[in-house]
Amino acid sequence: MIWVENVLVSSGEGGVYGERMLKEFRVWDPYRSKLAAYYYLGGEFELTPDLVVLYLGAANGTTVSHVADYAGTVYAIEFAPRPMQDLVAVARRRYNVVPLMADAALPERYAPLLEVADLIYQDIAQPEQVTIAIRNSMFLREGGRMLVMLKTRSIDTAEDPGVVLEHSVVAFEAARITVLDTKWLHPYHRDHAAMLCSPVWD
Amino acid sequence: MQSYWFGDIDETGCTPYRGGPEALAKRLETIKISPDRFIPFDWRNAGSCSFTRDRGEYIRKLRELCFYLSEAGITRQYESRDAEPLQMVRTLDQLDEVSNVLTERALEWHRITNPGFSRKYLHLPKQKLLPMMKRGGSPAFRQIINEIENLAAARTALMKEVSRRADEVVPNCSALLGGLVAARLVSQAGSLATLSRLPGSSIQVLGARTALFSHMRGGTPPPKHGIIFQHRRVHNAPKEVRGKVARVLAAKLAIAARLDLYRQELAPEFIEAAQAAVDNAGRVT
Repeated sequence: MIWVENVLVSSGEGGVYGERMLKEFRVWDPYRSKLAAYYYLGGEFELTPDLVVLYLGAANGTTVSHVADYAGTVYAIEFAPRPMQDLVAVARRRYNVVPLMADAALPERYAPLLEVADLIYQDIAQPEQVTIAIRNSMFLREGGRMLVMLKTRSIDTAEDPGVVLEHSVVAFEAARITVLDTKWLHPYHRDHAAMLCSPVWD
Repeated sequence: MQSYWFGDIDETGCTPYRGGPEALAKRLETIKISPDRFIPFDWRNAGSCSFTRDRGEYIRKLRELCFYLSEAGITRQYESRDAEPLQMVRTLDQLDEVSNVLTERALEWHRITNPGFSRKYLHLPKQKLLPMMKRGGSPAFRQIINEIENLAAARTALMKEVSRRADEVVPNCSALLGGLVAARLVSQAGSLATLSRLPGSSIQVLGARTALFSHMRGGTPPPKHGIIFQHRRVHNAPKEVRGKVARVLAAKLAIAARLDLYRQELAPEFIEAAQAAVDNAGRVT
């Protein structure tokens, strides 16, 4: 990851969503992007130019644009038409982004368009977020990683976020996916946890 | 054999599809995937398949197809019959907000220029309050009042239009609730398709989110009604049966929404029975 004076940046064409520039680099704001927050808090999974990333919940493509600056190819899945319009516009300017309008809960619908991925990044506001991540893990290359941004308040508004995280870890383990690391994204995002996971390969 | 967007791959090799994005999109629809047996395409073992020269070309062709699919998908979503009434009803609600905010501000302004202003004027309906304030105001002030009155006129026109469109798009819900409230219900649910998938109990409290969550977090009694309170049968019902009326009406609305989505026309025999059930619920015994 590129840091300039302790500010996380990415190198690429600016002006995607009005982001600040710092010496030719695009500033990646941890308050806007959960992935940026993950790196500010010492997240160790590095994005490298050889990675194929499957990005679930691409929204307007702001975080996608930064991921695309670092990674090789980004398959960006988004369901809602409004953000999809923005995402398509972002993808037109970044030749390594493949925009897909599909429901991440139904991977069989977009499976023929994908290829095996080195990283599955998930940031979706769905109560079945964990199930959806498990279902998509079939696209992972052996040795690949999953980075799940757990929105505890979308999973259960009333339950304590810590308990929701514990339940999610159990759900992953039951699907033979090891949770390597969990990190609360406090103070950048409230009640959000980053989970780095890896399926068990045999 | 495994099918992908660009062709089929089996032990003997690769059979690429021919054609542009449109043909590929058509082909894609015919591909059936079973998730437990699906092998995702791996560029590293793509040697047997010579449909593109290099990875750059692979991604370029794939992107071409995906832009085509995305744009078709967006168009399909926006073409749904309820998309425009939904925007209309949200505009309507915002018109109300804007008009109220402006009126309040104008009133504050009027107050300090008229020492004789008293509280009794606050109880005037807006249609009387505005002309009253307009008398004796400065030209700029009068212009503001004119604009508020214009907004009110725009609101009336829009309201008629919303009701008319709701009668077309959600005929059964409109018959039970009236066009405007029916449109609000669709707007709150997000779309007619979403509304039709909700159980009656959710429809009953649509629009009472704060009350519902404060109930779930502890203590407070559950909300009896959300948007459907705006229907006269609910808000005119005696207090002790209001919850019951709301519950029955919501249950009937769940059915009506499904009729609206799939049958897309009025079902008079259902409406008659539903009205009777709601009336019956409102009777105090």
